[in-house]
Amino acid sequence: MAREPRLSATSRRGDAVFRAVAGSAGGLVLVLIAAIAIFLIVQAAPAFRRAGLSFFTERQWFPDATPARFGVGALAFGTLVSSLLALAISLPIAVGSALFTTEIAPPRLGRWIGHLVDLLAAVPSVIYGLWGFLFLVPRLVPAERWLDNTIGFIPIFHSRHGIYGRSLFAAGVILAIMILPIIAAISREVFRQAPATHREAAMALGATRWETIRYAVLPFSRSGIIGAAMLGLGRALGETIAVALVLAASYDVKIHLVEPGGNTVAANIANKFGEAGLGGREALIASGLVLFAITLLVNIAARAVVYRTTRLAEAKA
Amino acid sequence: MAHTKTQSVKSRSVPVLLAAVLAGLALVASACGSDTNKSKTAKASGTTAKVSCASGTISGAGATFPATIVQQWIKDYGAACPGATVNYQPVGSGAGIQQFSAGTVDFGASDAVMKPEEQATAEAKGGPVMHVPWTAGAVAVMFNISGVKELKLSGETIAGIFAGTITKWNDPKIKAENAGATLPETGIQVIHRSDGSGTTAVFTSYLTTVAPAVWTAGAAKDVPWPTGQGAKGSDGVTAAVKQTDGAIGYAEQSYAAANSLSTVDVKNEAGSYVKPSAKGVSAALASAEIPADLKVKINYKPTEAAAYPISTTTWALVFQKYGDAAKGALVKSFLTYALGAGQDAAERLYYAPLPKDLQTKAQAAVASLQT
Amino acid sequence: MSVAQGLLGHRSPRRTWTDRVAVAALAASVIVAVGVLTLVLGYTIARGARAISFDFLTHSMKGVGPLDATGGVYHSIIGTVEQVLIASLLSIPLGLLAAIYIVEYGTNRFAFAVRFFVDVMTGIPSIVAGLFVFSFWVLGLHQGFSGFAAGMALSVLMLPVVIRASEEMLRLVPDHLREASYALGIPRWRTIISVVLPTASAGLTTAVVLAIARVTGETAPLLVTAFGFESIKTNPFDGPQSALPLYVWSQAASAFDVAVRRAWAAALTLVVVVLALIALARLLTRRDRLGVTQ
Repeated sequence: MAREPRLSATSRRGDAVFRAVAGSAGGLVLVLIAAIAIFLIVQAAPAFRRAGLSFFTERQWFPDATPARFGVGALAFGTLVSSLLALAISLPIAVGSALFTTEIAPPRLGRWIGHLVDLLAAVPSVIYGLWGFLFLVPRLVPAERWLDNTIGFIPIFHSRHGIYGRSLFAAGVILAIMILPIIAAISREVFRQAPATHREAAMALGATRWETIRYAVLPFSRSGIIGAAMLGLGRALGETIAVALVLAASYDVKIHLVEPGGNTVAANIANKFGEAGLGGREALIASGLVLFAITLLVNIAARAVVYRTTRLAEAKA
Repeated sequence: MAHTKTQSVKSRSVPVLLAAVLAGLALVASACGSDTNKSKTAKASGTTAKVSCASGTISGAGATFPATIVQQWIKDYGAACPGATVNYQPVGSGAGIQQFSAGTVDFGASDAVMKPEEQATAEAKGGPVMHVPWTAGAVAVMFNISGVKELKLSGETIAGIFAGTITKWNDPKIKAENAGATLPETGIQVIHRSDGSGTTAVFTSYLTTVAPAVWTAGAAKDVPWPTGQGAKGSDGVTAAVKQTDGAIGYAEQSYAAANSLSTVDVKNEAGSYVKPSAKGVSAALASAEIPADLKVKINYKPTEAAAYPISTTTWALVFQKYGDAAKGALVKSFLTYALGAGQDAAERLYYAPLPKDLQTKAQAAVASLQT
Repeated sequence: MSVAQGLLGHRSPRRTWTDRVAVAALAASVIVAVGVLTLVLGYTIARGARAISFDFLTHSMKGVGPLDATGGVYHSIIGTVEQVLIASLLSIPLGLLAAIYIVEYGTNRFAFAVRFFVDVMTGIPSIVAGLFVFSFWVLGLHQGFSGFAAGMALSVLMLPVVIRASEEMLRLVPDHLREASYALGIPRWRTIISVVLPTASAGLTTAVVLAIARVTGETAPLLVTAFGFESIKTNPFDGPQSALPLYVWSQAASAFDVAVRRAWAAALTLVVVVLALIALARLLTRRDRLGVTQ
């Protein structure tokens, strides 16, 4: 950090003023964040008190009824399942394309591929919802039927009434497309950080491209990839609009992923806020806070992992 | 270094360039647009009846059930009264009631009357609330089965389908009522509303009345659905039914008609299978009970031969006296139009005009609106 | 078989074969990724281009009947422009100043706290940000729906992004520039304004444009703050207003074909706006790369 010079009194006053201004901006940001957090917690508290522990197990959502029955049981299940499915689908493709970009493609082609994959992140989520609902879901039905016919003995791929469509599986596919660019972008950075010396040594020893990747790049990238995956997961957990448009809402713990139905915390908030009375709003904010807490934990863990990987790579290089 | 100098000039001019471009776009954009949308579809009322106009802007929100006709009214009223802007967001009866009670919209709309606590919240905000019935319609049960255009079902069978006890289209109970039809083996996909809906309240009230042993989930704007998938709004349900083979759902008749979806002939108390129609609705409403506060109590077991049993009126929710006089005047003027010349649009749009005595009482209520 | 042995030996057919299969698999994942992109953008452009017209871009939805094929997004474009502008005015100056504080003065615990909580804020689900403004401003303070409320919700999302990205851009400015400035006797505040900021300006502009692009496409917060309106509303403080993403959302799930056509056209409009902003940001980055990194 550059050291400040010795200055005249007027300059020091100017510095003090500027520092105060910038500092109060920082302070204002802190105050804002704290205010938002406190307000939300205060709003959510009555709902938590009213529901007690059943908030996490109850599946129905009738917060304004007497007696009020509501909980995130089915919502949390849908959120986690669709996000994990999205990760499972998207991770291999994202990592694969990142590897191709950094290790195999010539630099200019690699840059172009990177730009193209990044474009996926630019598409607004409402358009993913529209596209998903009108284009993808009807075309997923044959795929879901095929899954049921071939590996339908596994409950998650079986539909009890032979109906497919706006299912958690479809939501998972859409989320996979949406988180692909994030995982790919971070993976590219992680692979670029792999120590050049190891790569050069492998090439000098006559390794094929795959062997170079396997022995010189991947071993140093494991925690970075985990970090990228977790950031992608965090994004999937919070996605609202695309899921609200694609998923057919139903409040049950939908084990059969190819059956239409299921719900997520975020989509539930989007669907229910308008008709929520006071109790309903408190319940929705409470569910939003639970979601925020989960996303926060995932993001913090991910950042710690990615940060550590890049630092380690810098130290090694 | 000369290098840095040219670079710093370049990088300082870029934000300026950007700002100029954005400002230019904004200027062009603000000069260009128009609120006038002329369309080729004919006006609802052939007669150019005199409309007493008011001006200003009002916002309403509520049921999707009457959305089709309300949008037509807004269009026709707007054509007659250019100084008025009426906006209506079809967000569902539940949301309409909430937003009206919270004061974020000027009028609400719902197919289910406000519950006592809901009305109390609204009245605490803006004074006495009036339920003004402004149209009536049929809750059509629409279906999408390849190769089947007609379906006759009784209340019990419909209840069984929506309760999840009847799961395939070739179920013997359905076959018994449809001897002539070739019903496929397809599974029945029930589509219901995911949002708080007056249409749901009407539909579930009907099911509870005619088949209490089969339908046990109750009657309300939102119920714990035993089966099926949820869609948002009447148009969401219609879109889902349209898209899914083997689907069955419920929404106001205009949605089914506009999307060429077949509707169920429902068996009424007299034993006949009736299609949803304005005549069927009027026949059913003939036996409805009309209390002084206009919270019409529908009879879901009408004995008239032509009655379509799943019929309902739907209400606009307004305050007796508006704090903002201009808004009150516009609400009054718009509702006067809807209850007057606007009723001519009903049949053409697959709604039913209000029964004469109900129309008179509603007009009296609107006239009593103090501005 | 040790690595060295395998690597030093001849390229056995098995090694070559494994390599080819692996590279093919990696290439396949690129094809899938790019293919999906083509499907999404291509389909949107194709469906949207069919329905878009000059009339569509210059008319609102006022007086459009339920079965009419007329109507357009003009009112939504105005709404989006105003709401994003409000969000930018609220979050960019504040965010930039906060980033300057963190980078230039930030060795103490206060700066660390700001950084940490800004990180926390980046993870807030967009619907929760909207719900906050809804509960606090729309209902709590009885202000009702408005474009301004939407702008506030968007700024809650924009602020942490602006701060983090600006912070990174400011950190990229090499220390020796600052030291040279101090060596000439220029006070710290003048150094920041006259040396650090201009050097980082292209990067900062990029960061800001990217934040704007991201926020333009947000829908969830608008549902509960702007609410939607059919006519042109130029005053963002007065009642509900429309916005491009809201328009797509409201027309999208409709069963009426005329509405779905409009949804696609609006989607195309939105995509074009967002992509134009991102292309602008990329252009700025390239100009910056030609200049600063020496």
